[in-house]
Amino acid sequence: MKKLTFIITVLLLSVLSVKAQDSPFQKIMKKEIEKINKADSLAQFQQSANAFSRIAELNPTEWQPLYYHALACTFQGLSNKLTLDQKDEALAKAEDLAKKAEGISADNSEIIALKGFITMAKVSADPAGRGQSLSGQALAEFGRSLAIDSKNPRALILMAQMEAGIARFFGSGMEKACSLAKQSMAIFAAQDEEVLKAAMKPTWGRRIAESMSKSCE
Amino acid sequence: MKLYFTILIFFTAFAASAGTKISGIVTNQKGEAVPGSNVYIKGSYDGTSSDVNGNFSFETDSSGKQILMVQALGFKPQETVIECAGQIIELEIKLSESINLLTAVTVTAGAMEAGDEKKSVVLKPLDIVTTSGAMGDITGALLTLPGTSTVGNDGRLFVRGGDASETSIFIDGLQVGNAYGSTASNVPTRNRFSANLFKGSFFSTGGYSAEYGQALSSALALNTLDLPLRSQGDVSIMSVGGGYTQTLTGKQNALTASANYYNLAPYQSLVKQDFDWEKSPESWDSEISLRHKWGNASNGKAGFIKAYFHTEGNRMTIWQKIPGGNSRGDRVQLRNRYSYSNISFRHSGKKDWFFYGGVAFSHNSDALKLNADPLCRINQLAHAKLVAVKDFSPRFSFKNGLEWFVKAYSEALTDVNLKRSYTDHQPNHFAEATYYFSNRLIMVAGVRSGHSSLAKQFWMTPRFSVAWKLDNQGQFSFAAGKFKQLPEEKIRVLQNNLQNTAATHYILNYFFASNNRTFRAESFYKIYDHLVTYDDAAGNYSNFSQNGSGYARGVDFFYRDRKSIKETDFWITYSFVDSRRKYAAYETRVQPSFAPKHNGSIVVKHFASALKSQLGTSWSWNSGYPFSNPNRTDDMQQKTKMYSDLSISWSYLPRPHIILHVACSNVLGRNNVFGYRYASQPDESGTYAGLPVGQGAKRFAFAALFITISRDKNANQLNNL
Repeated sequence: MKKLTFIITVLLLSVLSVKAQDSPFQKIMKKEIEKINKADSLAQFQQSANAFSRIAELNPTEWQPLYYHALACTFQGLSNKLTLDQKDEALAKAEDLAKKAEGISADNSEIIALKGFITMAKVSADPAGRGQSLSGQALAEFGRSLAIDSKNPRALILMAQMEAGIARFFGSGMEKACSLAKQSMAIFAAQDEEVLKAAMKPTWGRRIAESMSKSCE
Repeated sequence: MKLYFTILIFFTAFAASAGTKISGIVTNQKGEAVPGSNVYIKGSYDGTSSDVNGNFSFETDSSGKQILMVQALGFKPQETVIECAGQIIELEIKLSESINLLTAVTVTAGAMEAGDEKKSVVLKPLDIVTTSGAMGDITGALLTLPGTSTVGNDGRLFVRGGDASETSIFIDGLQVGNAYGSTASNVPTRNRFSANLFKGSFFSTGGYSAEYGQALSSALALNTLDLPLRSQGDVSIMSVGGGYTQTLTGKQNALTASANYYNLAPYQSLVKQDFDWEKSPESWDSEISLRHKWGNASNGKAGFIKAYFHTEGNRMTIWQKIPGGNSRGDRVQLRNRYSYSNISFRHSGKKDWFFYGGVAFSHNSDALKLNADPLCRINQLAHAKLVAVKDFSPRFSFKNGLEWFVKAYSEALTDVNLKRSYTDHQPNHFAEATYYFSNRLIMVAGVRSGHSSLAKQFWMTPRFSVAWKLDNQGQFSFAAGKFKQLPEEKIRVLQNNLQNTAATHYILNYFFASNNRTFRAESFYKIYDHLVTYDDAAGNYSNFSQNGSGYARGVDFFYRDRKSIKETDFWITYSFVDSRRKYAAYETRVQPSFAPKHNGSIVVKHFASALKSQLGTSWSWNSGYPFSNPNRTDDMQQKTKMYSDLSISWSYLPRPHIILHVACSNVLGRNNVFGYRYASQPDESGTYAGLPVGQGAKRFAFAALFITISRDKNANQLNNL
């Protein structure tokens, strides 16, 4: 009888613990996502990239580790501390990873928005040389991302930044850029970040939206 | 129960003692720290990154034999077996370099690439269309590059003492026959293909890969766009015509169809012309391009197929004065029909295999009428190609290709029922091995062989190149090779059994690219052999032999800077060519008329944001064209005055989707002369009368409005400029 109680207890406990507790994958993902969201130096992004690379290797069927690995590489590619060659190296890696993520999860609005972000980073590495040819590609990628999920706040705010650049160039009004920024900000404000974090969904981009909305006012 | 308790205790104790601390340093082979490398226990989440000094330290709960992985960008991943038993493990990891194609050395000898992101580029794809003076012509933009000579009465590409036929042109790897529009003699032509079609180009002025054959001097490979960004319609309204292009895009497919019409009559009626046109050039063209992508690049198998069809028609009638004559001269009437179709594919398969190839067919027919005599010429070229590339390791790849060319030519005097023609089959094979000794040293060796059914000749040509990257951003490369080309069709049709002409190239190149500044210096030596010579009795050729020979040697420089002057991009080119050859009807080695000794150009583009405009100017110059004056006994001893052309252009973007473009060539109105034509018989005083070969008009002005219609209001036709 004692034995039976014990077994039932153990079973019950284990079931409960599965329900209540994250898997090791989720646990480490959440920890690393928290870290990358706070990261602001080249070394920290490098550490994040390495961490997500380790996670991706153990979880080859999940798109999130690849996505975050690519994101960490993209942030590195935006760093002013790197030479053009080094930026391109980081961004090529990011592009490769984003493609792999897309291979696992096709038509994913977040991954496509990230691809647009990578293209944007390539332009900012060499605006004079690449602006004309790659700006259109970045815009198209954000467009595709929004066609799948019109409420993707990251695609909206990055597109807003592209539009702002175009408006500055043509000396035209910022209405379109600002309306996109406003939309993005509204979505960021309305969403429950904790719920998204629990689902390992991307939450970054809020700061960009906040600062751009402010400059629009 | 007691037992369970014991086990529980045991496990807790074990877990507590299992933490193994692993620390150490990651360096390269020279002992320098490798920061940011990924250090971890394979199969676990335990790991860390090395710091700025290459040091790392972390703990793991794993026990027993484990594999420690160390990975870093630019290095081969390294595995070390460790025993985790609770003790501290100290390690020194030395990583060895891996080959990184993105930053590794590339062979730049002879090569000039136009691409968006690659390192060794000298031009961006957009440059081809935004270079003022080029007027949207691909050739025009390439003529601002080192190693080329502008021959204003021809319009084609002349490379390093070679004539225009010595350059072969390829679209997506497949050869294009009659890439330039048909024209009357001394009336310059243009490339038939719109620069908008292409995403990049590879232009080689010598020493090129075994992949390209039947070209003595140069290869120009143009690569078409993959999937366009969006569906859109493009309207163009020009001073010389108009056109419409519709692009439809799907997820994996795209369709582009376009139609254009050009007529120079209205323009030429307004602006005084030096050519005596009876009927100004008029042309139409239409194109369809289909693209389809398959597979998924992330899991290895993916590919692309492109089909492209182009057809066009041109007509013109011009009167050309005869030296010494008083009449209007010869009346030349030309009607041209041309079609080119090309189906190409590329496919990356499993196990590092890559395949590409396709089939292409060009058909050109010229109905010429010289005064009352009609002449009909038909030129056909079919090309099939299949190439397999295997990467045996990141260091070593091997390329193998099979090609089949069918070249057919016929010319007929229709009113007297005289016709001559030939058909030539040319199977070709090429193989090329690429080996990286390190990221700084690369060697490419190849061999190309072929057979001509008409010449009944088999040939084999070796090619070799090597490149060495220096510690800074500079690199040296050297290329050498043998090149064969069968004579021009107009000669071959007269003498079918003519064999290959031959050239040997040696090229030494220095290339430096850093931070938006590019410098390129190249010296070359080219030896010509087996050139066709003949007797020329007033246009009747006879007594063919292949005893002609010659050389071209020289040096050229290119400097491009997008950084020093704000919002300004400029490049400067200088080419020196010393060339002499015995060819055609010349009895001694002469400097060819198409090889001026000194050539230079300056191209400047300035972005004026306040004016929403791009302003451009280009200046092209050479030291003059040699010509033969029959009033003197020696061949080619005289030279025209120097050639100089200053062009300007202005592109105005009032709205993102509207572009207004205005351009003018030779704004200074310089009277350039490209040579002289002489009477075939001396006049009463015993001298041969001469006429200068000049420009069609002092200047050429061009205005156009480009409007893009799409849901995305920011799209435009920047490519059209």
